[in-house]
Amino acid sequence: MPPGQWKRRTFLSAGVAAAVSCRSGPHGPNWRFFTNEEGRTVDAVCECLIPEDRDPGARQAGVVDYIDIQLTKALKKHQRAYRQGIAMVDATARKRFGKSFADLDSGQQADVLDDVEQNAKPFFQLILAHTQQGFYGDPRHGGNRNRASWKMLGLPYPQIRGRQRYDG
Amino acid sequence: MKRALAISALLVVATLLLVPGASLYYESGGGKGCTRCHEMQTLYDQWHTSSHRGIACEKCHGGALTMDAAFHWNNATRVYSHLRGDPPERLGFGNRYVQTMVEQCKDCHRQEHAAWQTGPHGATYARIFLDKPHNTKNMLIDDCLRCHGMHFEGGIGALVAPVNRTGPWRLTRTELAAMPAMPCLTCHEMHREGPPLKKISLEGSVPGPSQEVTRPSLALFDRRAQQYIPVADLPMPAMLEGTRAVKTSPDRRQALCYQCHAPLATMQVGSGDDRTGLGVHEGISCLACHAQHGEQTRASCANCHPKMSNCGLDVEKMDTTFASTRSKHNVHWVKCQDCHRAGVPKKKLT
Repeated sequence: MPPGQWKRRTFLSAGVAAAVSCRSGPHGPNWRFFTNEEGRTVDAVCECLIPEDRDPGARQAGVVDYIDIQLTKALKKHQRAYRQGIAMVDATARKRFGKSFADLDSGQQADVLDDVEQNAKPFFQLILAHTQQGFYGDPRHGGNRNRASWKMLGLPYPQIRGRQRYDG
Repeated sequence: MKRALAISALLVVATLLLVPGASLYYESGGGKGCTRCHEMQTLYDQWHTSSHRGIACEKCHGGALTMDAAFHWNNATRVYSHLRGDPPERLGFGNRYVQTMVEQCKDCHRQEHAAWQTGPHGATYARIFLDKPHNTKNMLIDDCLRCHGMHFEGGIGALVAPVNRTGPWRLTRTELAAMPAMPCLTCHEMHREGPPLKKISLEGSVPGPSQEVTRPSLALFDRRAQQYIPVADLPMPAMLEGTRAVKTSPDRRQALCYQCHAPLATMQVGSGDDRTGLGVHEGISCLACHAQHGEQTRASCANCHPKMSNCGLDVEKMDTTFASTRSKHNVHWVKCQDCHRAGVPKKKLT
């Protein structure tokens, strides 16, 4: 194969690959790190940890968005732990109830999470900590959508902050 | 050699056309194409339900055929960060684009633009940050950027030099000098959910209770969080005069005013930058006298004190700061007793 032709083909392939990767990555269409299925599972786990009552829960506060974004940023080092942990949560759910975690009712989800807490404590504590961060943290990092937890706590935001004026 | 040159030239042309070509492709999808980069989905969804849903993306964000190299460079860097799997935590709107947006807003909102431009909120960076009387008495600090130049990327040190009380001060980014420090996007979020603006009927009929008070786009750009807080979510302060709770208007739009014209932590009327109405003006909304975009108060007294009123007083000529800035009686807080120390006379009926 003449070298020139090979280069053109490589160039075209690279272009097509770039275009394809722009259309769809390994993640789902709305995720940065998770696949669609992983996103559903993590969303359900977070909601189970901070469920909706008279105030929004983790789902409404977009906690899963926080975890998804930060797993490509500050929490990058936990990527593998999440991949393995989510697979383990779903495997436990299927083993006990024959469905994926996101498809279980809240009681069954709580049972599965009890198992996870017993048998995979490090992952349970990791996702619990990240759920708390995503729920109570600053919305600029992807979670606490519409300042849901701050409203629940009655924290005024932004605070009204005056300044001393030189001209009285 | 010739062949190599031709291939190189072709590659250069292809590279140059790649970005506008890609932009054109995304534009042709009416904005939907933009969301293929998943980090844009939320912004697209918000725009799709906003009062500006009828305005195409390229109207505000720039068109594929623009000759503005910075626009294409910005798009190219975004594609690069996307392909690298390292998009920014949040997609923001750079200060440069915020400034150009003012012109786009003007296309449809000419009257509002004219009022804003001639009013105090149309002040430029130079007017705000190079003000000698202010800068000699107050140290410039990052917190200035909470209410002025809030879209500027960087701290006060990156905007003004030197940061001291002696000066002389200059803007480190000279191109900002004539640009507005409080542009439209300070108080309006283009992607905020809401119905498009409708014209008032030709008959001039007033819709009454159904009349819109607050435009859905009304929101504060919170520099710290780099996001907008809708006016309905902004806190309203519980104002005090000594220990007495001061009655304030329920007009929610004031929550936006209070963010910058704010009292000190004591919440005392008149502290800090506060101008809450007291005395004869207690309970009146800021916007009863200050028109939204121009903040002009000229002739605003007539809104509540018509010349044919039964009090028979020409309030515009009374001894307040409205008539003269040298007056001791600030029009925001003036009380009848301030002048009538021996007792307020009965109303003159004409």
